[in-house]
Amino acid sequence: MIKKLINTSEFVVLLTLIGLYVIVGLINPVFFSISTIFDTLRASTVYFFLAFGLLPIIISGGVDISFVAVAAVSSYAAQMFLVSRGYDGGIWAYFIISCAIGILMGLLIWFLVTRFNLPIFSVSLALFTMWYGFALFFIGAQNNFQLPASGVGYYEKNLMTVKLPTGGITSLHSSIIYVVLAGLFIWWFLKYTTIGRGVYAIGGSREVAVRSGFNVKLILLTIFVIMGILAAIAGVFFGLLNRYFGPMDLQGDPLNVIAAVILGGASITGGKGTVFGTVLGVILIQLINRALIFLGIPAQWQVLVVGFMLIIFISMPAIRERRANKLGHSTAMTELE
Amino acid sequence: MVEEILRVENIKKRFGGAVALDNINLSIHQKEICCLVGENGSGKSTLIKLISGVYAPDEGDIYINGHLYKKLTPIESIHEGIQVIYQDFSLFPNLSVAENVAINDQLASGKQLINWKQINRIAAEGLARINISLPLDALVSTLSTAERQLVAIVKALLANAKLIVMDEPTTALTQKEVDSLFKLINDLKDQGISTLFVSHKLNEVSAISDRTIIFRNGHKIVDQNAKELNIKKMEFYMTGHEIDNSVVQFNKIEKDSKPLLKIENLSLAGVFSGINFELKVGEVLGITGLLGSGRTELGLALFGELPVDSGKIYINDKEIFIKSIAEAVRAGIGFVPEDRIREGLFLDHSIIDNTIVDIIDRLKDKLNFIDYKKKTITGEQWIKKLEIKTPSGELPVKSLSGGNQQRVVLAKWLATNPKILILNNPTVGVDVGSKAEIHELIRSLAKQGLGIMVISDDIPELIRTCHRVLLMQGGKIVEEFTYDNISEERLNSELVRANIIDDNPRRSDE
Amino acid sequence: MAANSDSPNFQTSLFNKFKNHRKDSQTFILLGVFVVLFVFFGLINHNFIAAPSIISMAFQLPEIGILSLAMLLPTIVGGIDLSVNSVANLAAVVSGIFLVKILPVNLLNPALSVVLAIGLALLIGVICGMLNGFLVAYVGVPPILATLATYTTFLGIATGITGGASVTGFPDQMGSIGSGTIFGIPITFVIFALLAILIYFILFRTTFGFKIRMLGSNPTAAKFSGLKNNLILMKLYIIGGVLSSIAGVVAMSYTMSANYEYGTTTYVLLAILITVLSNITPGFGNVFNIFVSVLILQIISTGSHMALMGVQGSSFFKDFLWGILMILIFILNYFMHRKEIQN
Repeated sequence: MIKKLINTSEFVVLLTLIGLYVIVGLINPVFFSISTIFDTLRASTVYFFLAFGLLPIIISGGVDISFVAVAAVSSYAAQMFLVSRGYDGGIWAYFIISCAIGILMGLLIWFLVTRFNLPIFSVSLALFTMWYGFALFFIGAQNNFQLPASGVGYYEKNLMTVKLPTGGITSLHSSIIYVVLAGLFIWWFLKYTTIGRGVYAIGGSREVAVRSGFNVKLILLTIFVIMGILAAIAGVFFGLLNRYFGPMDLQGDPLNVIAAVILGGASITGGKGTVFGTVLGVILIQLINRALIFLGIPAQWQVLVVGFMLIIFISMPAIRERRANKLGHSTAMTELE
Repeated sequence: MVEEILRVENIKKRFGGAVALDNINLSIHQKEICCLVGENGSGKSTLIKLISGVYAPDEGDIYINGHLYKKLTPIESIHEGIQVIYQDFSLFPNLSVAENVAINDQLASGKQLINWKQINRIAAEGLARINISLPLDALVSTLSTAERQLVAIVKALLANAKLIVMDEPTTALTQKEVDSLFKLINDLKDQGISTLFVSHKLNEVSAISDRTIIFRNGHKIVDQNAKELNIKKMEFYMTGHEIDNSVVQFNKIEKDSKPLLKIENLSLAGVFSGINFELKVGEVLGITGLLGSGRTELGLALFGELPVDSGKIYINDKEIFIKSIAEAVRAGIGFVPEDRIREGLFLDHSIIDNTIVDIIDRLKDKLNFIDYKKKTITGEQWIKKLEIKTPSGELPVKSLSGGNQQRVVLAKWLATNPKILILNNPTVGVDVGSKAEIHELIRSLAKQGLGIMVISDDIPELIRTCHRVLLMQGGKIVEEFTYDNISEERLNSELVRANIIDDNPRRSDE
Repeated sequence: MAANSDSPNFQTSLFNKFKNHRKDSQTFILLGVFVVLFVFFGLINHNFIAAPSIISMAFQLPEIGILSLAMLLPTIVGGIDLSVNSVANLAAVVSGIFLVKILPVNLLNPALSVVLAIGLALLIGVICGMLNGFLVAYVGVPPILATLATYTTFLGIATGITGGASVTGFPDQMGSIGSGTIFGIPITFVIFALLAILIYFILFRTTFGFKIRMLGSNPTAAKFSGLKNNLILMKLYIIGGVLSSIAGVVAMSYTMSANYEYGTTTYVLLAILITVLSNITPGFGNVFNIFVSVLILQIISTGSHMALMGVQGSSFFKDFLWGILMILIFILNYFMHRKEIQN
């Protein structure tokens, strides 16, 4: 039982995470402070939502890059709309409007993929390009710094604040609650609903899933709507935490989120992946970024270090698989896979 | 009166202009094991798809459990208790045994939430019904083929199957596993569940069948008690003419001529060890043994796919080191794989492209570019030489029948002018008529001076093509049969004897 | 596993006729779209079809065009290369620094310096290609992940050695390629066209290209037929790297500067977009489609910009149109596909 747990990819990531934390901390003890944890979590908030929304799609065997556009467009559009109406109420309105737009955007990709039998990646690429142009042309290219009264202080709305031994304070932002809720929801969805298991089924073998009677259309509808909602939420949080809404910034990051999900143990070909692993993957990437600062690596070389680590991370499972194939080859010829 | 599960009357099915099934009448009863036999293209697959509701017949009626269906749908067929087990077993490799077993139940009930306790309970009950034990949370991808087949059968049982249709179920099973399967089928029969067993392996059909149905060219030729048939008769009905078994002309081999291929003490850890043999020019050497005896791996080792740990390989007295397939090809070795779709052919590419893929470097013009004219001519020459039936060499290879596809693979290798040709189960999925032709081809290639190795578990095939047969067991060569002392019965019994001794068939450890 | 080809011959041969058709039909669709759009934008703004506009477009498209050629090769073997643009930038940046900071300014003939710098850029392309090839062929990493990692690495190197600043100060000879014309046609456009023809020849007239296409069609069968898969893949990624570095030189020569993240991920996505539009599938690909697709994207970009002159954000409208165009072509493909099967 324990042996099985150790063999999972998630365990490897956890080990890496802990190892990284310890090693960097030994070099620079300030890293060990609780502010590292709080700050990392805060920086990860937006990514958590994006990754949670992307995870089911990757498990189903597809790769989507339009989710960042959904996040940017839905939140930006919501902001422009509310500002133009002189909105001054609670931030919940942002979420409602943004999610509504996000759902519509999710429906669009679902429609194109199922009605015309198109690969998810190609459609997402087209839509990503289209939304990017759409947002910048039709809605506006300027970052918008106007927040309603309720939103203004949000970035400071902390759950708990801790005094640092070296002076100063650090806080855990309250948005973490919503991250946990979203994570729990996706975990529950993937483990305890028929549609959720259907996501794994489609990722394992689309043909068998159809043959077994899974409603593929419904499953895809569900995961794209979920993606739309979570991406929209991510966009709004981005705006609230950074105190501005803009169409450009989020769009640059689809590859980072995909990397986080894959690092967390999901398979790029589908059929495999967990919420826990995704959480670890997101934290790992953020922690690495933070660690580089603490290690005193100059800003201009940080990307390279990340690049090296990525090369190592993606090589390990490949080498592992190569070795397994060599050993189990004697009956590989007769396996039906 | 024994209940009739399935009856089809006057079934006709056409695809485009050609008739796939014509005037088919048959019925299957409770507690019956029926075998459906026929060459490729005889209509067996079409019939299965009709009774499972995937296709609709153009004419005729289908009665299941007494209910008439003019246009049967898959759901209706499943509800009536007809369960088809396809070659991929309809399993999800990334899901657990329990989930795979219980999934149909979950979907049928329409429940949106998963109760894992219930899933596990259903699965455990199902496995108990056929008396096997597998870890419920094991991923199907970690199971052996035989284990996956059992999971598929449990799935069928849980769906209250009355008739289980198995399509070529023994393709990747060891002899022991085949015996277990047959015992299981008989147990199911006692429980009141009938089996429709579709197979081309006539010896297995003889062993398991109560009633045998033979199709040919879309017609039902035979439908009678299995005891009234034997293999020779079945072959006759399948092809419409007698397969000439007795008169097989083998070319003579010089007794004292130098060996073309000499293998000394070849070993690969955990697979085979201490392999010694010689292959002379013009000789056909058979290698047989149960699945897992190392016979396939030996062929792959000689072909460079599984480089050996120790031992020497000599071709024409010169020592050769084969560490990769490219080196093997350069040394003059060709390999016709068992799974030609995955390993032998480029389906979407033209027949000509597939044929010349290994000699493309010879088809250049003065500027070192591809000489397309030469390519087409060369390709068509080979198509003619190997009698590949196609209206055009430019058609993609997937448009060909199994037998013709296998000829394309042969053509590919012959074009490289090999010294040695290794064939791994060369006539799997090839209809009986083409089978005989390919055997004749093998013999004539030997006559032309090639050294040929045939790896096979098809005893008649070995008898009809090989001068000598080596029997492998547990990774070693245990016996050699020469042309004088080979007979089908003797070879068969030796294999069976080996079965009793070989207690641990090799399995993949994933 | 075991072949059970029970399906009737006519069914499959019908399917094949359609498949060959689809390959050719994409070219026709693309040509049709090109003509329609050209006329359309010309009608909206007559300046569009005037010589200066056409020449301007011809100056802008080679960068993406050559990157698309670089993307074509891995796509044909069923993979992808996310690092094309970062290779281009790294090559530009390294050769730029070499030219400006390392080469002795007064000792060498500036033209010779430029040539050396370009040579260095191509060498960088080879090295980057080798890393990609090594990861994909010898380590066995899926191409999308391997090139995601190398993209980050190459970007990282470029960021590190430039510190974020652009490299400038090139001798005029460098700009002569990017801004020069031959018989009125921009030199870089000619380079793009020649490279496209070269890639066509490699893919369809050489034995190497034949092996690439077979490898793309079925890597397992390629291996079992004795093809040296790893070597083929390695050479392929090296060629891709060289093409990417040429794209970098072209951009550097046109803008007279080298930047660590010029084009960002947009250029990569555009290159992928073009291969998707061109209907490149494993084992089968049409270089001419790539050429036309690049032209189409360019005329949409310039055409929409001219049509919306003065409107705020007009330079973004092209992305919107690109996305819509792709979707429309997908839908068109779907309906044509259905019609073929019904026949």
